[in-house]
Amino acid sequence: MAVNEKNILNRLYFIAGCMFIFGLAVVFKLLSIQFLQGDVYRAKATERVVKNDTIPANRGNVYSVNGNLLATSIPKYDIRLDALTSKAKTFEKYVKPLCDSLSKYSGKSSNKLEKDIRRARANRNRYFLLARNIGYSDYIRLRNFPLLNLGAFKGGLVVEQTTKREHPMGGIAQRTIGYERIDDKGNVTRPGIDGAFGVKYLRGVDGQRMKQQIGKGQWKPLSDANEIEPQDGYDVYTTIDVNIQDIAHHALLAQLEKYKADHGCVVVMETKTGEIRAISNLGRNKNGHYYERLNYAVGESHESGSTFKLMALAAAFEDKVTDTSDVVDTERGIISFYGKKVRDSKHGGYGKISVSKAFEVSSNTGIVKVIDQAYRKQPEKFVDRLYDMNLNNDLDLPIIGEPKPIIPDPRVKNGRWSGIALQWMAYGYGVSFTPLQTLTFYNAVANDGVMVKPRFLKEVKEFDKVIEPFEKEVINNQICSKETISKLQALLKNVVEKEHGTGHRLYSKNFSMAGKTGTCQKDYRDKEKLNYISSFAGYFPVENPKYSCIVVIHEPDKSVGYYGADVSGPVFKRVAQKIFTDTPIVDEVETLEVKMGAVEDEYQHYYKMSQKFKTIMPNLVGMPAMDALAFLENMQVDVKVKLDGNGIVKSQSVNKNTKLKNNQTVVLKAS
Amino acid sequence: MQKLFKNIKGDRLIWAIAALLAILSFLPVYSAASNLAYKGAGSSTFTFFVKHFVHLVLGFAIIYGVHKIPYRYFKGLSLVMIPVVLVLLCLTIFQGKTIDGANASRWIQIPFVGMSFQTSALAAVVLMVYVARYMSKIKDEIITFKGSILPLWMPVFLVLILILPANFSTAAIIFLMVVMLVFLGGYPLRYLAVIIGSGILVLTLFILTAKAFPDAMPNRVDTWMGRIDSFTNPGDSDAGYQIDKAKIAIATGGIQGVGPGKSMQKNFLPQSSSDFIFAIIIEEYGLIGGFVIMTLYLWFLFRIVIVAQKSDTIFGKLLVLGVGLPIVFQALINMAVAVELFPVTGQTLPLISSGGTSIWMTCLAIGIILSVSAKREEIKEKEISEENPLEILSEAI
Repeated sequence: MAVNEKNILNRLYFIAGCMFIFGLAVVFKLLSIQFLQGDVYRAKATERVVKNDTIPANRGNVYSVNGNLLATSIPKYDIRLDALTSKAKTFEKYVKPLCDSLSKYSGKSSNKLEKDIRRARANRNRYFLLARNIGYSDYIRLRNFPLLNLGAFKGGLVVEQTTKREHPMGGIAQRTIGYERIDDKGNVTRPGIDGAFGVKYLRGVDGQRMKQQIGKGQWKPLSDANEIEPQDGYDVYTTIDVNIQDIAHHALLAQLEKYKADHGCVVVMETKTGEIRAISNLGRNKNGHYYERLNYAVGESHESGSTFKLMALAAAFEDKVTDTSDVVDTERGIISFYGKKVRDSKHGGYGKISVSKAFEVSSNTGIVKVIDQAYRKQPEKFVDRLYDMNLNNDLDLPIIGEPKPIIPDPRVKNGRWSGIALQWMAYGYGVSFTPLQTLTFYNAVANDGVMVKPRFLKEVKEFDKVIEPFEKEVINNQICSKETISKLQALLKNVVEKEHGTGHRLYSKNFSMAGKTGTCQKDYRDKEKLNYISSFAGYFPVENPKYSCIVVIHEPDKSVGYYGADVSGPVFKRVAQKIFTDTPIVDEVETLEVKMGAVEDEYQHYYKMSQKFKTIMPNLVGMPAMDALAFLENMQVDVKVKLDGNGIVKSQSVNKNTKLKNNQTVVLKAS
Repeated sequence: MQKLFKNIKGDRLIWAIAALLAILSFLPVYSAASNLAYKGAGSSTFTFFVKHFVHLVLGFAIIYGVHKIPYRYFKGLSLVMIPVVLVLLCLTIFQGKTIDGANASRWIQIPFVGMSFQTSALAAVVLMVYVARYMSKIKDEIITFKGSILPLWMPVFLVLILILPANFSTAAIIFLMVVMLVFLGGYPLRYLAVIIGSGILVLTLFILTAKAFPDAMPNRVDTWMGRIDSFTNPGDSDAGYQIDKAKIAIATGGIQGVGPGKSMQKNFLPQSSSDFIFAIIIEEYGLIGGFVIMTLYLWFLFRIVIVAQKSDTIFGKLLVLGVGLPIVFQALINMAVAVELFPVTGQTLPLISSGGTSIWMTCLAIGIILSVSAKREEIKEKEISEENPLEILSEAI
């Protein structure tokens, strides 16, 4: 006998006891997890499942003055494939169609793609790149491809969205429009307008929301509302005029290429308001191509050369120490101060000429002599006069990187002052200004002495609502007397208008311009490295100036040319000319239409016939075939016209004065 | 309803425990389903709720139906069912469902109904009844090893070998339960040692073959190794991840729990509504909830012992223990996995975890137990008076 009730029960008690002990062990382990290891695991629980998520605010757009989009943020997508997540059956079913679709999209071979994707799956790649940096519409397209349309869990679609700043107008004014970029280490680079107004207007305020993890890489918001609502950035309307910018950009580019110059800039500014209509900065890269590299107009201070003669004479006229008609001896083109020589570009000098002419021909000796005679005893007076005209102040621009002007001052011991500082200053050496600072002074002259601050911003808007308008800012209501201003204006006008003027090559009888050339030596301490800065600053039209403009070109190829009038002048002229064709002086257009008798007769004939024949076949013989065709098709009955040949109608299948029926066919023969 | 209650026979407490477990299962399953619903396995959490409800209703219908059957019929039925089960297991294995290249063919699709069914669970119940029948049949004979090989161990090993490739833990538990049952039935220990030894030998051979020819057949040897490895050296593996999450759930639960539906780990625990539901219960209902569940199962164990004690026939006793103890054992294994007392297995928490097969087979077993407890008086009389064709079949073999 193998078994009886009693030993079954005994064995049962043993087993039940074991199970009970097992149960107790579970309870013991449970308690130990809760009370002994509890803190560790509880910490793990919270550390991983709740996070504070930033909701990035949309960055505002940058617009031109006429509403063209200059900079905007658009979403870009990276599409990846979790090659492992799809089931084998699904994967096999869709991998080929997916590759076909991808191949159509990217142009890569479908077989190659399939091989790559299969390898990714074999390698357990959960992050296989399909497309990088694609736009929204492409993203939508890819999302609907086979396999990917099954979604993240079944198909393995991985989408990562980033926001990219784009400049829809391309390279134009790129440096001035700028950007704001934050690298991995948190360093911010923010050139241009986008950079300058990024924090204040464009960036907006990021929102925040608490999120709880509900799966691998899946987060859900903890509450209905965001903890902090994101506030989108404001739109910034610049003063840039896309058309003028385009003109300036291409005029500068052409000239830089012609003179193989290192870099250059053009700034066009509206005289009355100081609004910058165009600002172009082009530099050459290693391959000899030009693109917006640095904001030279704002950030590059250089010795002005002859363009500073205007400031020098302004001071002298204002102090009434000289006048336009005073005669000055240019002394055969060379004068020496403490052994240092000032030379004229014309060998042998200009003889005895008026101050006015000395300016117009840009005689270094002439101007230096005037200033030397007037201020030698008290150079502080000259310097103070320059200060009065706000020449020592920077423009306090929002765009970063503007250096302060340099004007040597005998009272300031900074090593800039010397025995020849005054004389050298007179023709633009030892002083240093940025193109925009120089332009601001020229603009003040054009604007009858009112110095306005150059401005890049028109207004800041939130949709249609103006958040902050930017008004004209006057730096100095009257930099010098009206009398001085009109003398300066006359000088600038003569530079272009007078035949002896250095800018006469720019002269055009169709429109008037005023300005001053500048050819400044650069790196003159070393003859080997000697180079030039060619500039032209001025305004147009002469009467009621609308725009002032400065062109500065650095290091033109000396063998091609380096005089301001040759290198920079043409850019100025082209900008002025092109803007002028937009705003012609004479607002009258002559009609180009001349009435031709024969045409008129034919037209009258056709009109009469169409009035007469509406359902009855007219005589079309002798009529041009195209007219006949048009005539029949426009009648009040629907006839089908068959035209054989072209030219003049020779015969018609339906006799004249016959009543036409709908859908009747008329055959015209023409030759 | 009144009539229904009148018709309910058998141990009232077992009925009550089963009902309590079923009722308690709703909230955790509903809560844990949210993650499944989110991942797109169903349209909404409510679908899972309804599904679970339907499973349980069907389950209790099974209990009711089965407990009405006089338990001696199960002798013959098990004989008939063994070949059926073997065929079903073969079908399952050749259906060849794989998960990430590892064999996980545990389910077969029931035609027309559109439900899938885990055959190994049915096989377990049938096998236990079969073994109980055999042990009771030879209760008066001298057991010889040779004599027991063909009628006892042949079917057992056939079933286990068919389950093994896809589901090692189930096969192992069934084997253990069979060993336990034959031990209870008075099978000599020295023979048992031989059987256990040969069981281990077969397993080793299987693993070696699978390792040597990885492509010969789809199997889950790597998964088992991974699980056991991560149990012995906790690390950053899949199983380690699950256990980590389960322990986080248990730790955050505390004594009172975070409250119904507020579990966080349900989102990270795969199988949070079945294999790891115990962790979720503790997270949401705390130690209190965990103790209640544990107590219910241990009470159930106690009731099974009582029913076995009171049963008049050896077959009755062995039948109750054969189908009853695995339920408790499975529950304990499930809880042990959650508290990292045992490597990760795919065992569900009977009657609580979602999943139709698990619920129904547990209900089948409970029905059998109730049938034994209900009929213990009547059976004896009827045994003498009636001749049952299945019984004759059973006696003949």
